[in-house]
This record gives sequence, structure tokens and C-alpha cells, in this order.
Amino acid sequence: MVYMSTKLREGSMFEHRDVIWILVKKDFKIRYRHSALGFIWSLLNPLSTMTILTVVFSLLLKSGIQNFPIFLLTALLPWRFFSIGTMQATGSIAANPSLVKKIYLPRYVLVLTNNLASFISFLMEFIALLPIMMALGMTLTPHIILLPAVMIIEFLMVLGISLGLAALSVFYRDFYQIWEIVLQLGFFLSPIFYDPNIIPERYRFYYSLNPVTRIIESTREILLYNALPTAFDLATPLLIAVLLLAVGYTIFRRLEPRFAEET
Amino acid sequence: MNIIEVEDLWKKFKIPHERKNTVLDTIASTLSLFGGRRSTFEEFWALKNVTFDVAKGGSIGIIGENGSGKTTLLRIIARVMRPDQGRISVNGRIAPMLELGLGFHPELTVKENVVVFGTIMGLKREKLRKQIESIVEFAELKRFEDAPLNTLSSGMQMRLAFSVAVETDAEIILVDEALAVGDMEFQRKCLDRFKEFKKQGRTIVLVSHDMNLVTEFCDNALFLSRGEIVASGNTREVIKEYIRRVESQSVSLLTSDQATIA
Repeated sequence: MVYMSTKLREGSMFEHRDVIWILVKKDFKIRYRHSALGFIWSLLNPLSTMTILTVVFSLLLKSGIQNFPIFLLTALLPWRFFSIGTMQATGSIAANPSLVKKIYLPRYVLVLTNNLASFISFLMEFIALLPIMMALGMTLTPHIILLPAVMIIEFLMVLGISLGLAALSVFYRDFYQIWEIVLQLGFFLSPIFYDPNIIPERYRFYYSLNPVTRIIESTREILLYNALPTAFDLATPLLIAVLLLAVGYTIFRRLEPRFAEET
Repeated sequence: MNIIEVEDLWKKFKIPHERKNTVLDTIASTLSLFGGRRSTFEEFWALKNVTFDVAKGGSIGIIGENGSGKTTLLRIIARVMRPDQGRISVNGRIAPMLELGLGFHPELTVKENVVVFGTIMGLKREKLRKQIESIVEFAELKRFEDAPLNTLSSGMQMRLAFSVAVETDAEIILVDEALAVGDMEFQRKCLDRFKEFKKQGRTIVLVSHDMNLVTEFCDNALFLSRGEIVASGNTREVIKEYIRRVESQSVSLLTSDQATIA
């Protein structure tokens, strides 16, 4: 007689809120406890990248983009969240074998908490650098109330990609290295230090498939161009985010039953 | 209704002959596959047709040689692994003590680690907040409560983890091996806690090689060998059977163990 095992109840995210919250806090503490400067490093990194890129492109190459430092920061911060968020989460299952093998936690919790910690860092960086951006000439308008929506859409993208990467890297340990290369490429394929309008018309469609592009453009519209993103501007990245989430989650669910045997 | 019911449980592992852990390896072997070489693996049944029940408030010891499937069985009960076939029902909350100190981080303080591990073990936040002092005191680590964990000896860390784990209010307690940690005095405290659990009517599933411990704690025992139940029932009888087998077959068991690995 062959039975299939009974489907086990997993418990809702709400039921696991304590674990999620504690793991986010733990992750966050560990990120910043390690060094004396702690969070300051999180600010120095984008600021130094901004300075280098400003010197190279604005002063040496005379790119001619207005407000170049702000132009850079409004892209660097979301880019940092995207790259650090997905990279850190890639190992979140494989690097925690005991949390996978020795206790039952819904495994997505490990990815989610990692992403949430990155997201909080991102928000803190943003808030901390806001005065600097304003000192550099950025004016705050009521449009900023739309910024959280853009940030949340980016979070969903990061979560979707992270779920897929974290699951795959349980089976293929070099996914981290592969993703690192993809991100390196992504830095140049996103409009971080150049105007997206320089992309030739016939490549524009493929270019705009890059999820980060839409996020950067919406962020700039809100903070730099004082324009209100249209519903279409937000609907496209939201659609991409939902798609990424669906794909990532499906991969994750497929591979999850074998996590305990492979970690 | 029994609190744990396991019926006709089978669990299979695949052991690849060459392990492919990277995308590069996989691409390389896929390409050579066209040349006729196939990647091969061996199937290995870690559990075969395992059936048993545990009554509410009962206690069962799982014994058997290394590689007999004890830990796999415990992991399936803990929901960490899924069986390939069979039915398992668990009617209560589980405190899996398969490893103590899950989620411990060396750079966090003793108290912070108590909160992390306690939450992972399913303790409620209010309960942890109220009991953190008594947990640290039970572990005899009051002096170090704000010190980073890595300043503690490994024995002290185990004591801390154990003190958190026993705060659980789950009905079912799964224990793999280490029931008693630390020095002799602390070991006594540990065992006393487990006796309390039994008195409170909680269900205990214990995997151990320590026959004295199994005799002391378990009403029933299960003797697994190479994934199959060889004997089950009254603890003393099962242990007697186990010892008899080990003594008469020690040579053949050893060779068959090696065959399984190879």
C-alpha cells in the first residue's frame, strides 16, 4: 500500500512574525557590530563611489548631466540595495544548514529576513544621505510620498530574485559567483552614471527589461525631476516585480523539499 | 488517538557517484554525456516500512547502530525531511532538540542569543522576556549575560542552549543524543528537567546510544537496523535484543555497514 505523506501545515507569515522579526534584528546587528564605524561604512561606500564617478564623468569626461552627484546618488542607493540584497540572500539557505536540517522553519523565512535586513539598511542610508543630497541642491517636493511605493516594488523584485538564487545555490554552489558577474554587468546596463536616452532606439525595449532601470528612473523622477511618475511608470516595474516573485517562488517551492538533504 | 502515528514510512536517499555541486561541473558532465557517459547514482533506503505509534505522554527510545536511520526518522517527525512514502501524523507542538543553540551567533551577547535561539525554538516573546533572567541563571552564566557568546567556553555555550531549550512548552520533545551537557552537576540538572517533562505528561522521543539513559527515560523502545525495525516494545526487552544482536553479529554488522557506505 502506498500513501503519500500528509501535507504538512506550514503556518502563516503572521504566525512566524516573532521569528522573522528576531532574525531580522540579529542579521542587522551582525552587519554593523563587526566594525567600529559600523553604519558609517554604509554611507561612505555610496559617497565615495559618487565622488569617483563625479570626478571621472562630470569633470574629466564632461558628460554634461545636470546635478550629477544627485543624479548618481538617486541611482546608487537603489542599486546598492538591489545588488547587496540579492547577493547576501543567495547564501541564506546554503549557509545555514542547521536551521534547515535541525528544525522546521518555513525556509522562505531565511531569505525574507535577510532581504528585510538589507531593506532596512537601504532605508537608513537613504534617510542619512537625504541632507547631503539636499545640500547638493536637491529640493524636496510632496512627490516624495510616492517614493515608498517605488522602494516596496524594488523590495519585491529583490525578494523574487533572492528566492530563486537562494534555492538554486543550495544545489549549485557557484551561483553566487555567477550572480556576482551578472551584477557587474548590470551596473553598466543600468542608467546609473549615464542618461538612458543615449541607448539607441532599437535596443531600448531590451534595455528597459532590466528591472533596476525602471526603479532608478522612477526614483529620479520623484527626487530629481520633481515629476510625478505616471501610473504606467509604476505599473511596469510592479508587473516585473510580481513576475520575478512568481518565478522565484516557484523555483523555491520546487527545490525546497530537498534542501535538508543537500545543505 | 496517538500523539505520533507513523505508518509504512519509507525514505530514500540518492548517493551520486560523483558529486556535482557547481553549474560548471554540471555543464561539463552534460557535455560529456553526449559522448555516452552518464552520471550515475545509487539509491539507498534510509528507512524501510517503519510503523509505530507513540501514545500521548509516552516516551520512546530509538536505538540502533550508526547509519541505521535513527536521525532520519527523527528528522521526518520534526518535519525537516519528507518521506518518500508512508503516512505520519503528529498531533501536537514539537520541540525539536536535534541540535542545541540553533542560530547562536558568536558576536551577539549571551542574552541576545537566548532571545534568538528561544524564538527559533518557538518560545513566545513575552515568555522569553519574563524568563530571560531565570534562563541565564539556570545556565549559571549570570556574570556573562552581556558578554559576547564567543567569550564563553563551548561547554558554557551548550549549557546556555540547553537552558533555553528546556523552557519549551511543546507537548512533544524530540532529542538527538545529547540530553545531558556540561559538568556532572549540570548534567544532573538536565536529567531532572527531563524527569519533570515526563511527570508533566509530555511525550519524549529520544535517540541515543546510551542504553542506561534509554532504560531510565523510555517506556518503549524501537530498534532500527539498516532502516528497518528489528524489535519494538518494552524498553528492556528491546535493549536485550539489541545487545544480543550486537554481540553475535558485531563482525557482520560492521561489514554490512561498510557495504552501505561504499
